Amino acid sequence: MRIHRGRIAQHKHDELLRTYLKQNLHELIQQKELVVDGKVKTQLSTLDLPTLRYGDDEAYLAQGTGGSGRGGGGDEGAQAVGGLLGGDHHGPEVRVELDFDEFVRLAQEVLLEELELPALQRVPRGGEVETEDLPELDDLDRIGLSADLNLEETLLASLMRNVRERGVLDYDVDVRQDGWYFVEDPRAARNHRSLEVYVLDISGSMRGDYLALVRKTIFLLWYALERRYPTNLRRYVVFQDVAEEKTREEFFSVESSGGTHISSGFEKAMEMLEGVSEYDTYLFLFTDGETSSGDFELAKRKYEEALDRFDLVCYGHVNPGSRGVGGFSEYVQEVARRRPNATFANLVDLDSVREALREFLTRVDGGGKGCGSTRRSSRGWRN
Amino acid sequence: MREYEAVIARVEELARQLGLRWDPVVFRMSEAEEIAEVASMGLPNRFVHWYWGGAYKEIRLQQDKSLLSILELVLNSRPAYAFLRRSNTYLQNVLVIAHVYGHADFFANNHWFQKSNKNMLNEAERHARTFRTYEARYGRETVEALLDSCLTVAASVNAFERDPARRRKRLVYFLEEHAPLEPYEREVLQAIREEAEYFDLIQRTHITNEGWATFVEATLLRELLTAREWAEVCVHLCARPTPYTLGYALFGAIRRRRGFEGALAARRYYEDVRLIDETLTQDLVDRLDLFVYDPRDRSRNTQVDAVKEMLIEQKLYRGEPRVEVEDPDHPRDLVLVHVEEGRKLDPRRIALYLKAVHGLWKHPVRLRANGKLYTFDRRGLSTA
Repeated sequence: MRIHRGRIAQHKHDELLRTYLKQNLHELIQQKELVVDGKVKTQLSTLDLPTLRYGDDEAYLAQGTGGSGRGGGGDEGAQAVGGLLGGDHHGPEVRVELDFDEFVRLAQEVLLEELELPALQRVPRGGEVETEDLPELDDLDRIGLSADLNLEETLLASLMRNVRERGVLDYDVDVRQDGWYFVEDPRAARNHRSLEVYVLDISGSMRGDYLALVRKTIFLLWYALERRYPTNLRRYVVFQDVAEEKTREEFFSVESSGGTHISSGFEKAMEMLEGVSEYDTYLFLFTDGETSSGDFELAKRKYEEALDRFDLVCYGHVNPGSRGVGGFSEYVQEVARRRPNATFANLVDLDSVREALREFLTRVDGGGKGCGSTRRSSRGWRN
Repeated sequence: MREYEAVIARVEELARQLGLRWDPVVFRMSEAEEIAEVASMGLPNRFVHWYWGGAYKEIRLQQDKSLLSILELVLNSRPAYAFLRRSNTYLQNVLVIAHVYGHADFFANNHWFQKSNKNMLNEAERHARTFRTYEARYGRETVEALLDSCLTVAASVNAFERDPARRRKRLVYFLEEHAPLEPYEREVLQAIREEAEYFDLIQRTHITNEGWATFVEATLLRELLTAREWAEVCVHLCARPTPYTLGYALFGAIRRRRGFEGALAARRYYEDVRLIDETLTQDLVDRLDLFVYDPRDRSRNTQVDAVKEMLIEQKLYRGEPRVEVEDPDHPRDLVLVHVEEGRKLDPRRIALYLKAVHGLWKHPVRLRANGKLYTFDRRGLSTA
């Protein structure tokens, strides 16, 4: 039997890679564009041997590739050939790419270790979800379970094939070629339980440590919520001067720039409520609270409106420097003391994130329609 | 393999008529996975290390996307082993076979390759076994850390350097002579240095070797193939990575100037630096669209002198910074100096690099670079 040395080496490499990424999570997580093409690409020098190298902005030898090379748009398709000429078969620096999901799992692992969150009771996937409608098998596909074979389509396919290939009208079925199966129409699965709207401030001031802290918090929120309520509907909004809905991947690939209009964030979040009235609705908004001066009054009104329409509105004041709470955040902190379905968290460091999550998760568990109003928290997450 | 026997015989006959001579070649049909394995490790039975794992992963990925994927591999051993990929088309494999004879001829005749160890296959196996025994005796983590350190400093080998005084300026030779190593540590360092020299030689003749093999391949195939097949092959040849196309163009230029005999002589005596220095012209630079790119002001320099200088520098120092060992005042001193003061080293790598060196030297290690003096000792990195 052949020993697969390549696979053994790769296994070793991947083990080390995980350790390495865990160690460098903080640096990694605050990249401007975290997700590119569905992958998290690290900018760190990666699992290379630590030989010395020149800094990044040194000149290098390149060859034109007629515009199809890597090397980025501004480089007019110049392709660096340093790795090919200089090295052996390895590129100068193998950049690590991870699927976004893989990355989130990794981050969650690290963060949970750091946080020492109380062990939540693990709910088996799907077990928690109550759904009346069984999946309806009303779509057809070429791949499926043999019990769900659709005879009509299969026989038709076989007839057509026999005519085409042998020129005879014959039902000589070969399921590998002719099979059509009933499958579940993915659009028909309606077993969401609640709606979670994540709103993130991406104005110019949200970078570096701000971004790192916010992303860590959101990863943890996902972890907790996704594990318990795997089928919840999740929607993502980013705002600066204007707000936009994004996919989850895009949510982490937008660059911070521009001014802050918190009102636009609330407004967009409320648009997400269209057609989901039967669910419990949660809004999570993260910002540093420095809304543009002209926006203050409007933001107040929108916040009040959001409180009326969402079952729970969580406001995270991102404050890695641990300065005082001012501006719009101060106002929200004040309101959160009075309103039962409002929470306020001052996110200073991972410890405060832990506090915030703990408080918040108990509210989601006990909350929801009908329950939310019975639990009054005058304290908010952490004041 | 049987279907290729006739082609192989025909290629050998043509190659002999051209004046090529080679040691026996053993062809082997292999799966893509096996090729990726050998390509990432360099030799099929080398010790297993995480570093090859990363390369292996990359190559497997490329193979799946079938971009620029490796079609063939030849080992510089006696006999030479050539791996053909089973999933290649018949025509691809014919191409590969012709290419392999170019390499085999180069291995057997090039002046610089005469010094290479044709027994490296067995040496690598012996090394791997030794390392495994040491892992059992001294602990896996200890040996793995040692291997990391050795592989890191082994980047400073130079297979061409024979002058002992200049060799001692290179870190790996200095450590081998002077570092306070346990006998087993020294043996590991020696083994890795030998393997690194073997690969260093291959690198320093990479353009010449690939260029020659491609040149031979093209010359043989023009005889062998129909016009239609030849047209298809030309597309393949143009799409190859830079060392192939550059080397091929350079040998083409030599033949135009000095005939096929001249090309034969060049493959015997040249290595990359000389090949580039003597043969590269402005015309070729323009045709190959080579340039020096400066990301600071996004400028391209297409002057032959600039391109030549950068290519030669990459060949001499493999694109790596030139770091030399300073003559020690005291037997416990190890001071490394970055020779080109003007260029900046990537500061993130310095600590890790010095840590690796410290693992072997065991006393404080200093590095003068970026206008600073870095020191790594038991307490870690400090800067002055």
